[in-house]
Amino acid sequence: MPDGDDFATSLMNDMDPRLLELIQTRINSFIKWDLVRFFHDNPHTADTADSIARYTGRDVRIVEPELLQLARDDVLDVEDLAGMRIYTLVDDRDVRELIAAFIRACDDRQFRVKAIYHVIRSLR
Amino acid sequence: MESLRIPTGIAGLDEMLHGGFLPQTANLVEGATGTGKTTLGMQFIQHGIAACAEPGIILSFETFPQHYYRDASAFGWDFQAYEAQDRLRVIMSSPEVTRADLQQINGRLEAVVNQIGARRVLVDSLSHFDRLSADPVELRRITYEFINGLKRLGLTAVLTRENAALLGETPDNEEELAFVADSVVMLRYVEIQCTVHRALLVLKLRGSDHHKDIRQYAITGQGLEVRTRFEGTQGLMSGTPTMTQAEAFVAAFLSPDAR
Repeated sequence: MPDGDDFATSLMNDMDPRLLELIQTRINSFIKWDLVRFFHDNPHTADTADSIARYTGRDVRIVEPELLQLARDDVLDVEDLAGMRIYTLVDDRDVRELIAAFIRACDDRQFRVKAIYHVIRSLR
Repeated sequence: MESLRIPTGIAGLDEMLHGGFLPQTANLVEGATGTGKTTLGMQFIQHGIAACAEPGIILSFETFPQHYYRDASAFGWDFQAYEAQDRLRVIMSSPEVTRADLQQINGRLEAVVNQIGARRVLVDSLSHFDRLSADPVELRRITYEFINGLKRLGLTAVLTRENAALLGETPDNEEELAFVADSVVMLRYVEIQCTVHRALLVLKLRGSDHHKDIRQYAITGQGLEVRTRFEGTQGLMSGTPTMTQAEAFVAAFLSPDAR
């Protein structure tokens, strides 16, 4: 019989495996979660970390490293423009659909509880 | 010969403009908060998409796209559907980034224009450009360059700009920007007998004649509605008009004291 931790993990892993993988590997912090939601809601945004921090009501020193990680994980594109680093949501249809599925799933409280569990585990 | 026009879809305004704005021009809509600048701009975009097969772009500085979707839906305009159909893009960015993007060859904005075949753009709002320079001459140069960038892409633009004064005249520095625009539409609150009315004036329309009277307008469930001209008052653009001499004469005889 599995111990308590394993049992909780198996319960928490009970979700679409694509979304589980997305949370465990790419949306593995609450700041990234916010940023992904922001870009999903505003898919044509192209702006600097400073502006995006302002739009999301956070400190740019916290937001910029997370934006860079999302870019490294192919969720965002980053390009240099006249000395500014500009972030946009990737054009890739599969990634956009996966993010849309994640945001839709977040409407469900049970899913959110599971997602929060995995984000907290990632932060440990 | 009548030149080609880009109608706004606002009946009274198009009449004042003799059919609409001229193609590939920059048209400044200036007024205090709540006067309906953004509504006028959204109506211009909506009319282009729905009635003229002219896709549009909304360039927003600091207003979230969701706000446009929500505000548009209150008028029965489905901007989200237009985006899904590649007939509209609501782009949120900062003035610095938009300006730099427009300066480069094959920039992001140019790609969007080509992708959806955009013909119209709403820039909301030009007031955010103020942070690019404290020097009015430099700001005018930046704005001029930005406007020319939009024209280069073949766009007819409505640019909103907020007037800090709720009632009354435009601050001096606004005149600098009015000079670089091809047309200027002023939206004003006017106090008449303790009631606030809305007044619209086409201050200039470069390259064309236009109606110069000051008209009343309202924001209805269908958007802006430009109505009849104000009668019997003068000094409307000061925000606190007075009756014309003729009206004052009539009023004096109609007042209870005169009877």
